[in-house]
Amino acid sequence: MNDLLFDHLGFLPDPAALTVATLMKILLIMIPLMLGVAYVTYAERKIIGFMQIRKGPNRVGFFGFSLWGLGQPIADGMKLAFKEIIIPTNANLYLFLLAPILAIVPALAAWAVIPFSDVMVLADVNAGLLYVLAMTSLGVYGVIIAGWASNSRYAFLGSMRSAAQIVAYEIAMGFALVGVLMVAGSLNLREIILAQQVPLNLFGFNIITSGWFYIPLFPLFLVYFISGIAETNRAPFDVAEGESEIVAGFHVEYSGMAFALFFLAEYANIIMIATLTAIMFTGGWLSPFDGLLNTEILSVPVLGALLDSGIHWLFLKMVFFIYLFLWFRATFPRYRYDQIMRLGWKVFIPVTIIWLTVECAGILLEIEPWFV
Amino acid sequence: MTFQYGLFMFFAALVVYGAVCVITLRNPVHAVLHLVLTFFASAGLWMLLEAEFLAIILVLVYVGAVMVLFLFVVMMLDINVSETREGFVSYVPVGFLIGLVLLLQIRIVVGSEFFGLDQYPLPVPRPADYSNTAELGYLIYTVYVYPFEIAAVILLVAIIAAISLTMRRRPESRKQMPDKQVKVKADERLKLIKMDAVVSVDKKDQGDDV
Amino acid sequence: MVALSDYLILGAILFCLSIAGIFLNRKNIIVLLMSLELLLLSANMNFIAFSHFLGDITGQIFVFFILTVAAAEAAIGLAILVVLFRNKRTINVEQIDTMRG
Repeated sequence: MNDLLFDHLGFLPDPAALTVATLMKILLIMIPLMLGVAYVTYAERKIIGFMQIRKGPNRVGFFGFSLWGLGQPIADGMKLAFKEIIIPTNANLYLFLLAPILAIVPALAAWAVIPFSDVMVLADVNAGLLYVLAMTSLGVYGVIIAGWASNSRYAFLGSMRSAAQIVAYEIAMGFALVGVLMVAGSLNLREIILAQQVPLNLFGFNIITSGWFYIPLFPLFLVYFISGIAETNRAPFDVAEGESEIVAGFHVEYSGMAFALFFLAEYANIIMIATLTAIMFTGGWLSPFDGLLNTEILSVPVLGALLDSGIHWLFLKMVFFIYLFLWFRATFPRYRYDQIMRLGWKVFIPVTIIWLTVECAGILLEIEPWFV
Repeated sequence: MTFQYGLFMFFAALVVYGAVCVITLRNPVHAVLHLVLTFFASAGLWMLLEAEFLAIILVLVYVGAVMVLFLFVVMMLDINVSETREGFVSYVPVGFLIGLVLLLQIRIVVGSEFFGLDQYPLPVPRPADYSNTAELGYLIYTVYVYPFEIAAVILLVAIIAAISLTMRRRPESRKQMPDKQVKVKADERLKLIKMDAVVSVDKKDQGDDV
Repeated sequence: MVALSDYLILGAILFCLSIAGIFLNRKNIIVLLMSLELLLLSANMNFIAFSHFLGDITGQIFVFFILTVAAAEAAIGLAILVVLFRNKRTINVEQIDTMRG
C-alpha cells in the first residue's frame, strides 16, 4: 500500500507526495474507524437488546425505511453535534475543554502502528509494541483532568477510581505483552504476527492455529483481554461510570460534542484492545488455515482468496473480540471497587509473573514446539 | 534551516516553556500538567537523538505513571496555595540571578566553540532496521547486569517503602471479617434468658432491667 | 543542523530553571519535587545527546538507571508528603519545624 499510493502521486515532488500519501493513509484508517465506532454502539444496543429479549433501536433508518434501525448511530451523532456544551460554574475552562481532546488523541494515535495486513501499515516502527503501550497509558490524563476540571464531586470520584484502575491494570497488561515479546523476539507488531505464521507439528499433525500465541501463552491471553476490559472501563469493571453510584463518573458534566469525544475515545479504545488481542494472540491477519492448504485450493477464485491470509481475517477476529466485550456487559454484574483492585494487583500480576517464569524455563530448555 | 532543526526548536521551546510554567504557576495541578508537557517534549527530542527506547519509556513510565501519581497527590491534598506562595515575589530576584549566573557559566563551557559541529560532527544515521531496544537490552543484560539488579532492588525498596509509609488502619472504618462471621456459633449470637412473662409492678428490682 | 552544543545549552537552561525553581518555591514541597525531576531530566538530556554524538550507547544505559532511581525517589517522596500532610495538614516547609533545637 505504501509504495502503491506513493507511485500514483509521482507528479508531485517527493516530500509533498510522501505527505499526501501519508495523509491519505491516515484518512483510510480514520474514516473506517469512526464508522466502526458508530456501528459498535449500534451493535452494542442491538446485541444487548437481543440478549435481554428486547428489540433495541429499530426506528431510525434511511429514506423512510426503518432498516432495523441502522440510521440510529448517525442520528445520535447529529444530536450530540448540535447540543450545547455546558460549562459548569467554577469549572476550569481550559482544562475542561482540553480533557476530551486528551482522551481522544491517544486513542487515535495508537492506530498508527497497527498492521492491517502484510503490506498495510501506516508506520512500521521497530518499537511498535512499546509505542502502543505508551499511547494507551496516556488515555488516563483525559479522565483525570475531566474529573478535576468539572468541579463536581461525582466527576472527581469517578476520575479517581478510573485512574487508579487504569494504572493498576496497565502493569498486568505490560507483563502480558512482555510474554508476547519473549516468544516473538521482536517489538515490531508485523514481526509478532509473522512469528505466529508457522503451524506447529504436534504429535505428527499440523494443527490449525497452533502457531498462534494464545496456545503457549494462554494465561497471558486471558489476563491481557480482561485487563483490556478493565483499561477501557467497561462492564463489569465500569465502577468509574457506576451510574447507580456516582451517576456517570468523570464525564457527568459533559454534554454535546465534548461528551461525544469521550464516547468516541471509549469505543475506539475497545476496538483497539480487540485488534491488539487479535494481533498478539490470535495471529492478526493470518488465516487459521495458513500453510495447511495446497496451492490448488488457494487458486480457486473466491474461496481461495477467502481462505488465504488477509485483512478479512483480522476483521473477523476483531469482531469476535468486540462481541465478547458486549457479551460480558450483558452477562456480568459490576465488580465492587476493592474487588477490582484485588483482582488486578493480587491475581493478575502474580499470574503473569509466574507464567513469564514458566516461559523463561521453556525458552531456556527449548521446549518443542513453541519455545524454539 | 532544515526540517530537523525546526523540530528541535519546536520541542526545545516546549521544554523551556513547560519548565518555566512548572516553577512559576500558582496552581500545583497546572504545574504538574506543564511538567507532563516538558517530559513529552523531551521524549520528542530524544526521538531526534535516535534514543527511541528511552523516549517511549519516558512517556510510558514518567508521563503514564509517575506524573499520574503526582497529579493524584496534588489533587487529593487540600493544599493552601497562598501559604506556600508567601515570599515568592521576594525570592524572584535571587532565583533569577542565580539561574542566570549558572547559565552563563555553563554557556562558557558548552558553547558551539567547544561542542559545535566542527568538533562533534553529526553521526552517520543508523540503518532503518537498527533496533535501539535490542542493543540496549544486550548491554544491560551482559555488561551492566549487576547495576540492573541493583536498580530492581531500589524499585522494590521504593514499593515497600511507599506502601508501608502510607498504609494505615483508620480506627473509624468498619469492615467485614468473613472468617469470624462464618465460624460464629448460634449461642455466641443469641442468648436465651428465662424470665416471667408478666413483670409485676411492685417488684423490688423494678428499674434494673430497663 | 542541530549540533551537540544546542542540546547541551538546552540541558543547561533546563538545569538553571530547575535550580531557580528550587529557590523560588522554597516553601512548597511539591514544586520542590517537580524541580528535582526537571533537574534529573536535564542531566538525562545531556547523557543522551553525548551518547548520540559519540556513538556510544553507554550514555543511554545511564539514563535508564537515572530514570529508575528518579521514579523510586518520586514514589517515596510523594509517600512521605502524603504522610506529612495527613499529620500536620500542611506542606509548607517552614511549618515542619518540630525537631528545631
